[in-house]
Amino acid sequence: MNYGISWTSIKTLLRLELRSRFGSRVETPVKTQIGRALNILFTLIVYAILVTGIYYLAEMFIVRSELRFEFLVFATIFTMGVATIVAIGNVVKNLYMSGDNELLLRFPVSGAEILIAKSIYCFLHNLVINAMLTLPFYIIFGVVTKAGAGYYFASIGVMLLSVLLPYFLANLVAIPVMMATNFVKNQFLLVLIILIGVLCAGFILYMTALKSILTYLSEEQLGLFSGEMIARYGEIASKCYPFKWYAMLLAGGSAGYAGKDIGLAFLYIFLMTAAVGVGAYLVTVKFYYKTILHGIETEKVSFHRKTPNMRRSVFGTLLHREFYLILRSFNYSFQYLAMAVAAPVMVYYCNDLASTMGKDTVGAAIVPGLTLMVIIIFVAIIVSFASTSVSREGSAFYHTKIIPVSYTAQVSVKLFLYALVGTASVVLSCIVVGAAFGTEKAGNLLTPLDVGCIFAISEMTVLSLTCLAIWADVRSPIFNVVGDGELVSANKNIAVSLLVGILVAVIYGAATMLLGFLPIEIGGFSVVDGLGDVYLILSVISLVILGASLAMLYVNLEKRYGKIAP
Amino acid sequence: MLKIEHLKKVYPKSDRVAVDDISIELRPGEIFGFLGQNGAGKSTTIKCLTGILPYDEGTIEVCGYDLAKEPIKAKMNMGYVPDNHSVYEKLTGREYVNYVADLYRVSKKDRTERLERFLDLFKLRFAVDRQIKSYSHGMKQKICIIAALIHEPKLWVLDEPMMGLDPQSTAEIIAYMREHCAKGNTVFFSSHNLDLVKRLCHRVAIINEGHLIDCFDLAGHEENKASLEERFFKITGTYERRLFEDYVAQEKEEFRPDLDKQEDSDPGDAEQISEE
Repeated sequence: MNYGISWTSIKTLLRLELRSRFGSRVETPVKTQIGRALNILFTLIVYAILVTGIYYLAEMFIVRSELRFEFLVFATIFTMGVATIVAIGNVVKNLYMSGDNELLLRFPVSGAEILIAKSIYCFLHNLVINAMLTLPFYIIFGVVTKAGAGYYFASIGVMLLSVLLPYFLANLVAIPVMMATNFVKNQFLLVLIILIGVLCAGFILYMTALKSILTYLSEEQLGLFSGEMIARYGEIASKCYPFKWYAMLLAGGSAGYAGKDIGLAFLYIFLMTAAVGVGAYLVTVKFYYKTILHGIETEKVSFHRKTPNMRRSVFGTLLHREFYLILRSFNYSFQYLAMAVAAPVMVYYCNDLASTMGKDTVGAAIVPGLTLMVIIIFVAIIVSFASTSVSREGSAFYHTKIIPVSYTAQVSVKLFLYALVGTASVVLSCIVVGAAFGTEKAGNLLTPLDVGCIFAISEMTVLSLTCLAIWADVRSPIFNVVGDGELVSANKNIAVSLLVGILVAVIYGAATMLLGFLPIEIGGFSVVDGLGDVYLILSVISLVILGASLAMLYVNLEKRYGKIAP
Repeated sequence: MLKIEHLKKVYPKSDRVAVDDISIELRPGEIFGFLGQNGAGKSTTIKCLTGILPYDEGTIEVCGYDLAKEPIKAKMNMGYVPDNHSVYEKLTGREYVNYVADLYRVSKKDRTERLERFLDLFKLRFAVDRQIKSYSHGMKQKICIIAALIHEPKLWVLDEPMMGLDPQSTAEIIAYMREHCAKGNTVFFSSHNLDLVKRLCHRVAIINEGHLIDCFDLAGHEENKASLEERFFKITGTYERRLFEDYVAQEKEEFRPDLDKQEDSDPGDAEQISEE
């Protein structure tokens, strides 16, 4: 028998992979088709907005500031950075964590054929992503600088060249990522602590850097495109290896580089890509089969935990189960618990930056409104997780129907848990901002009354959003789970819940900021005069929304829940 | 113990009536078999009577409690073992059983005694403190059975319970079904195993295309036992004299391929001949 590589098998595997990602040609109902069309339309609109943003950025750099070459260098840093992160996720997901590895190994195909087919898929995926990322920058650059046709052909070449390095790097990094993942498997608390640490550290680093830049600009009274800053950009861009080499291939000539330098840049890129590529090849060939076999063999490895036979109340036992199912899932821990714990840190840094900038430009009166907006945005992110509370039951959903506990009680436990975590996050956020911005040293940007009112309004909003999120999931749960019961993908309820939360945050925040120092009078009668009135109005609105949300969730709940058929 | 009257179920967005006008009454202390082809409506009936699916018409009473009006009291008297053995896989076996015991308000003393007994009975002691996701098909089935029995339900409902179980566990479950019934409780289970139903059940019902076609006694009725297969084949519309005779003959005959003949026609020889 011939055990060599069969390209027919590879083609079949690749077709299978593409079909499983993009669906077969089976006719779908009109409703699904409309849904897909709307999704595509939404994506296109977002993409168009981003491209418009890039256009204005390009104009600022190229036309106003004459930073042509620097624009390309910074664009390359951004696109290659994003492409590398996407590629790592893509390679880890498709090559190593894909649930179909075990299935494919049962077919008469070799590990090498599976690897090649999946690698081709990953490469094609990265190519599309890279094209979507880089081409807008390159094309806009060409349009703004009025480049000739040759530039556009060159930009396609550079785009193809720039896809290789992130892809090879991703293949190199994927193995250690998988090893680390396997190492911390079942170490739930450790994973949670690491996630919180990484999340907070990353955020603090980002916000500190951003604040330093803005403070520097403000203190030196420099504009983003002042003469001194332009000189700094040029200096930074000239040292940004290897990204500078890619920019040199496209616009090295017009930036004053000699042909020899551009040729050398190509040689450096080629050598660097080849070296990383060979390394990635050797590592992947050596470890791929072992790693997926290890994954299959240890998929069912679980922890051993001796617990006493303990009696709990019905409420307590439902709460205990709900919490443990979240804690013992890597994805859910990150999406929910880590975010909830990290939120106060994020609120502090966001508020710190926004109030520093806002106070200098508009005045200290905007700080309470900003604080309210930032807190509600972060709790909206946390609370959106509740919109999968029923869907996450997955194949065990039937259990919620057979147990001798009313659906109302079961839903109340979910509401209690999510509201509790949300409330803890709001309380901590309020304490943090109160302590940081309410002191004399900080300029008494927030009074105790501000903090109290922000807490009351945020808390009522958290409860309302939680109710609405659970209501949405009871209305249309999606039991699309995989493996040991994790959702295959986020369902649309998360997006809707998040959108509603952010909308509320923006409206509340804007109203507080504007009306705080813009009194409203109708016919000589003062309607809103100062922050006190704003807080009162928002509290009443929040209370009404909370009442309506509770009614929406609980009225006819038994009947609605009873109708859910798994 | 269980009284189903004129049960009707139509799935949303479907024209087909999944279950139509089914009426059954189960007595205390009996083991009741529920037979039918795949898609006949067995699982739908079971899902309706356990509260998983809402139904369109009819009434279901468990121990005198109407499932629609007093669902909590009705469910309190029931234990259910699903056919897909889905459980909360992130919990350990013990955590899962304790969780179920809490929901059915079982005292600490009772649950400890029962759990210890079941762990020995089903040989699951070695795995009870491990996460359920590491369990095999049969082990998951066993933990489902233990959880369903932890509150000693008056009505024990099982949907194709023997699938994927090893012979020893099957024997233990059969023995426990008999013991459970001896205490005056009732067992209601669906199965495709006619031989098992014939030997174990007091009564049996045969369902076809959503309709209950036949319901008869097996205990003490040898003629019904003897004709169970034929009745099943006829009711489900799969009866053809030749096929039925084949089925009966197959049950008696051995079908092991003759090794001597196989050796005579070695594929190696065939290859050699074709090459020549």
